[in-house]
Amino acid sequence: MVWDLCVPKLAKIVEVIELTPIEKLFKLEFVSEEDAKVFTFKPGQFIEVSVFGVGEVPISICKSPTRSGPLELAIRRVGRVTNAIHKLKPGDIVGIRGPLGNGFPVEKMRGFDVLFVAGGLGMAPLRSVLQYVIDNRREYGDIIFLYGVRSYREALFRDMAIDMVEHPEKWGLKMFLSYEREDEVFEGLRQKYPERVRKGVVTVLFECADLYIKPDKVCAVIGGPPIMYRFVLKELAKRKIPPERIYLTLERRMKCGVGKCGHCIVGGATAIKYVCKDGPVFTYSDALAVRGLV
Amino acid sequence: MRYVKLFKEKFPEFFEALKKWGEVHAPVKHGKFYSFKRVSSPGEVVLDYNRTMIPPKKFFIKPLEAIMKVKVGRGYEPIAEEPKRLVLLGLHACDINGLRILDTVFMDEPKDPYYATRRENAIIVGVSCKPDDHCFCKSMGADYAWVGFDLFLHDIEHSYIIRVGSLKGEEIVEGLGNLMVEPSQEDFIKFRDFELNRSRMFKRALELSHLPEIADALYNSDLWTKFADKCVGCTSCNLVCPTCRCYDVAENVDLSLKEGVRTRRWDSCFIRSHALVAGGLNFRPTRLDRFKHRYNCKSSMEPRTGLCFCVGCGRCSVFCPAGIDHVEVLNTLWGLT
Repeated sequence: MVWDLCVPKLAKIVEVIELTPIEKLFKLEFVSEEDAKVFTFKPGQFIEVSVFGVGEVPISICKSPTRSGPLELAIRRVGRVTNAIHKLKPGDIVGIRGPLGNGFPVEKMRGFDVLFVAGGLGMAPLRSVLQYVIDNRREYGDIIFLYGVRSYREALFRDMAIDMVEHPEKWGLKMFLSYEREDEVFEGLRQKYPERVRKGVVTVLFECADLYIKPDKVCAVIGGPPIMYRFVLKELAKRKIPPERIYLTLERRMKCGVGKCGHCIVGGATAIKYVCKDGPVFTYSDALAVRGLV
Repeated sequence: MRYVKLFKEKFPEFFEALKKWGEVHAPVKHGKFYSFKRVSSPGEVVLDYNRTMIPPKKFFIKPLEAIMKVKVGRGYEPIAEEPKRLVLLGLHACDINGLRILDTVFMDEPKDPYYATRRENAIIVGVSCKPDDHCFCKSMGADYAWVGFDLFLHDIEHSYIIRVGSLKGEEIVEGLGNLMVEPSQEDFIKFRDFELNRSRMFKRALELSHLPEIADALYNSDLWTKFADKCVGCTSCNLVCPTCRCYDVAENVDLSLKEGVRTRRWDSCFIRSHALVAGGLNFRPTRLDRFKHRYNCKSSMEPRTGLCFCVGCGRCSVFCPAGIDHVEVLNTLWGLT
C-alpha cells in the first residue's frame, strides 16, 4: 500500500526567526537523509505541517528549490495549529506531508518579464518564485515587484524589501512598496524614494510601475489576501495583460492536500476544481472560467 | 459478459458460497427503513427493498475512524487494519454507480490506502430493482450498472439471470458448479421484459442534458432562496448521499500526553466551518452559499465515468426533514415545474 503522501515525515526545526509580532520564519530539515534526498519541489507548492497531537496545517514553502539548506516556512500565528507551531523551538520535531499542489509554471514564464504583486502574507509563496527568478536571472526579462503592506512592523522580510527599494541595481529588479498605516520608517523611505514608495493599498503602485510594465512581454505573479485579487486583476486587465499569463496563488481550507477531502472544492457545476490539487496556482483565465475562484 | 442462471430455490447455496468468500452484508429491514447489515443466513436478506438509509460508502469510508497513531514527539504511524474480505449483497445499480464515482476520487493517484485496501477486498453483488416515487436514476444514466460489480442478479420470476462482471465473480460462479445453469432464450426475453417494464416505471426525472448549466448558469437565480430558506442545515443529505465524500481530520491525545490518534470522520458542506480558513475568512459564509454549493457539486460531471456526481437514488429527498426535493429544486430553477 502506498502511504507516501499519507503519513507525515519527520522534520527538525533548525532555526526560528521572528519576522513580525505574529509571523515567524521556520527553517526545517528532514530527520531522515532518505526523506531529504527524495524531497524536491517547485516554487509555489505547499506542504502540510503536523504538530503532534494538535493537527495539520497547509503552509506554502517560501524558499526556492534553487537554494540549498533547510526548508523555509513563514507562518502566521492565526489558528490552533499555527499557535502550536509558534511555541516550538529549534530541535523540536514536526511532521511534513508534501510537496503538494501544482506550483508556479516557472518554465513557461521563461523569456518574459515578471511582474510580482504581493500583499501581506502573500509575500511568503512569492518569495520562492522571486528567489527562483533571481537565481536564474538570465532566463527572465525585467523583474518588477509591487509589495503592499500595512506598516513596517507588519511587513514580512522587510529588510530585504527595503534593501531592494534602496539598491535596485544590486538586486537587478525594480521594487515598489506601499504601506497603509502612518509609519515612521516607511514615511522616511517615501520621502527618499517618492517614485518607488507610496502610501495606500498595493494597487496605488501600478501608476509608478507603469513605465516598466510591457503587456506583451510580461507575466504576472500574484499572492495576497483573497480581497486583494479582484482589485489587482482589474488593474492588470486595464493594462491588457493576457489572462493566461497572470498567475494567482490561492488559499482555501486544504485539509488533505490531495483532492479527496472536498473542503477546497471551487467552481460551478460546469467546472469543479480542487484548490489543493489543481492549484493553489491558477491563471486568471481559470479564474474567469471557474466560479468562486477569486 | 457472461450470463448464468440460478433458480431461486438454490439461493441459500449461493449465499453459502458468498459467505465462504467473505463477511456478507446485505439489506435488512429496520422498522420502516432498510440498512446494510452483516447477515449470516439467507433468510435475513431483503432483496426486494427500495433503498437503505446509509449507502454502501460506509464500508469503504467509515463515518469515524482512527487512521494514524500519534506518538508525541516521535511521529506518526498508520493504523493498517487487517484486510477483511467483504461481500456486499443486494446493491442497486445507483449505488454501484455511486461507488464508481467514489473510486474516481479515492483510487485516483495518490490512492487513499484505507479506502483502496477495503475496496480491493470486497465483492459487489448487485440486484435488479423497481423504482419508487423518489427514484430518478434513469435520468441520471445510473439506472443500469454496466461495470463496477462482480455479480449482478436480475430477477426473472422463479430465477435470477446473473451477469458476471469480474474475475472474482467468475470464481464464485465456477465454484458453484452445476448449481448455475445456462439461461435459455426465453429467460432473456423475461430479462428484457423486466428491464423494459422497469424503465417505463420511472415517475421522477431530472433534465440531465443541461444539468451542470442549470446549477451553474442560474447560480444567481432568486429561486434558490425559496429552497435554501427551508433548509435547516442538518447535513442529512450529505450523510445519506452515496457520492458525498467530504471528510474532516482531527487529532486527539490521550491522558498520558504521549500517544494519541488522528481520526477522520464524514464532514458536510452544510456545516459552517466547511470552507472556513484560519483567521476567520469563510468562503461560503451563508446557508444559501452552502446550499448552492451542494447543488453545484452534485450536478457536475465526472469525466472519466461520464456520470454525474448525483446518481438519482433519491435518498436526499426521502430523508430531508424539511421536505426539500432534489429534483424539484433543479427543475424549478430550470422552469420545468
